[in-house]
Amino acid sequence: MAQLTLKNLGKSFDDTDVIRDLSLDVADGELVCLLGPSGSGKSTVLRMVGGFETPNRGAILIDGEDVTRVPPEKRPTGMVFQSHALWSHMSVAGNVAFGLKLRGLPKAQILDKVQEALALVGLEGYGERRVWQLSGGQQQRVAIARALVLEPKILLLDEPFASLDQHLRERLREELRDIQRRLGITTLFVTHGQDEALALADRIVVLRSGEIEQVASPDRMYRAPQTRFVAGFIGSMNFLPCDMRGGVSDHPLFTVRAAVSDGPVELAIRPEALTLLPASGTGARVHRVTDYGTHLLVDVDLPDGGRLKAMCPPSARYETGQEVAPGASHVALFRGDAKLAEVTVERRVADHV
Amino acid sequence: MTDLASSGTRRTGGTAASNGRGLTGLLLVSAPVALLGWLIIYPIFNAIARTLLAPTETGTAFSTDTYVRFFSDGYALANLWLTLSVTAVCAALLLAICLPLALYLRFAKSRVAGVVQGLALFPMFVPSVILAYALIRTIGPNGGVDLVLNALGLPKINSPYLTPWGPIIGLVWDNIPLTTLMLVAGLGAVSDNAVEAARDAGARPLALLRHIILPQIGNAMLVVLSFTVLSIFSAFTLPYVLGPASPEMMGPFMQRTFSQVMDPRMAVTQAVITFAICAVFGAFYVRSIAKNREARR
Repeated sequence: MAQLTLKNLGKSFDDTDVIRDLSLDVADGELVCLLGPSGSGKSTVLRMVGGFETPNRGAILIDGEDVTRVPPEKRPTGMVFQSHALWSHMSVAGNVAFGLKLRGLPKAQILDKVQEALALVGLEGYGERRVWQLSGGQQQRVAIARALVLEPKILLLDEPFASLDQHLRERLREELRDIQRRLGITTLFVTHGQDEALALADRIVVLRSGEIEQVASPDRMYRAPQTRFVAGFIGSMNFLPCDMRGGVSDHPLFTVRAAVSDGPVELAIRPEALTLLPASGTGARVHRVTDYGTHLLVDVDLPDGGRLKAMCPPSARYETGQEVAPGASHVALFRGDAKLAEVTVERRVADHV
Repeated sequence: MTDLASSGTRRTGGTAASNGRGLTGLLLVSAPVALLGWLIIYPIFNAIARTLLAPTETGTAFSTDTYVRFFSDGYALANLWLTLSVTAVCAALLLAICLPLALYLRFAKSRVAGVVQGLALFPMFVPSVILAYALIRTIGPNGGVDLVLNALGLPKINSPYLTPWGPIIGLVWDNIPLTTLMLVAGLGAVSDNAVEAARDAGARPLALLRHIILPQIGNAMLVVLSFTVLSIFSAFTLPYVLGPASPEMMGPFMQRTFSQVMDPRMAVTQAVITFAICAVFGAFYVRSIAKNREARR
């Protein structure tokens, strides 16, 4: 149980700034996901916390103690790698016991701790197997057990489920969440999967080009993104360019009223905030309907050449080419990267909230 | 019925196609296999047969006389022992020099690594005979080192030239590039993440080397040892130019037996004995590789 503080961290590789003035506090027992596109610097932040990269500027504090220059072998952190990084010449138990042996613990105690750690990840009885005899999911469980057995203050996970299939990924992340809650271990989790971040995190940190774009709970991150980048990066979003004139949007399909100065804006609408009603004269036509079982995803061609994605109930029926009238229940307005307003919309007419 | 019939046809077609591929594969390997048989396998059996069939007045007769002569001759045994000990010392020195070098080249992130790699590979492009004369001019009597020591008013070095240390220095220098390259290739199997995971678990450099890196490059070490033993055991130029005249290493010994003693059958016997010792190392290497593969299955 520990608190992690990153203070004005900066890191450059070959004179290119990868991390710029990044500050973050992770509370005791909290699970924070670092989320961002490739090259956003999320893995670099994790590697700096683990001691595998040294920041050029700033400080890393664990429970108030400065560990910025402390090498990984002396840090109270445990890391789980994307590639599992298991040692193939050792058995499963050997992998888990390695760190304990280095600490000179008595054999009986090592045996107990290894069995406890393997039980924690559901691998009782697998100790004598070689790591190559395990499936990808089992290997990742061994990696988690290996990190947890040393009782680190901070658990670091670098895209640990990226190489696993969808079903296994979902199952393992639920198990990891359970283990993390049970142990109450402070955790920093790097992922580029927004669904993973939304499902796991207490808080999500979205990174872009080495800077924090937004820090928020999964709920706020999805429903109230503060920048256009976050709005487009988290989940699916329709962006419709138009102009505001006298506080009213001039979009032919979405009339939005908001106290926003005149000028170009983008209306940002989630697919699930859209409804499609059969209509004529709108010029919006169904392009394609994809049935995902739980919902239909309907692509709609707009008269201005743009395209919308709408999430509709599976019972709805749409034909390709059918003319529809799209309506939105919630719209955010962006100008450039800045959010100007959020509007709850009555059908075809919106009021500023 | 129709489905069954059609699937049967497809299966037959697939077998025919895979047979075709098998035949193409056999044809592709037939040329190198034929060359191997002609240039390597045939000469081996021919040499063994020549040593075991002694010429008589009526033709040839089975005889192990050359082997008896070799193993009862103190000088020949001294030559064999010298060759074995030079090989062992060279292998140990090469591992001691090249392993740290390979570790540095594998894990160093600095630009200096490029320069070190260039320097380590340089001897590969120097012919053995040039290297031998360079060493004579450097560490031989009144060579470069002696001149420097003399200028500093210090006594001359005890020159390794024409002692067993002459070929040892030359062979080690000559074999550094290939040994380093093989070890670097072997270290490629140790992922950065595996090393980082060990450091994360608390391993310091020595523990990392002992528990993580060395066990994972066991095969590469075996390859290095086998190649070193095979190339040094049968070396000729450096032992001939830099080595002692008596006892002498097997390469110069064979050459002298053939061209000066004019005893080609004895020279072939020495070659067969040399080959047999090298083959033991080769078999050891193949067995270790096969065992590792078997374990992985």
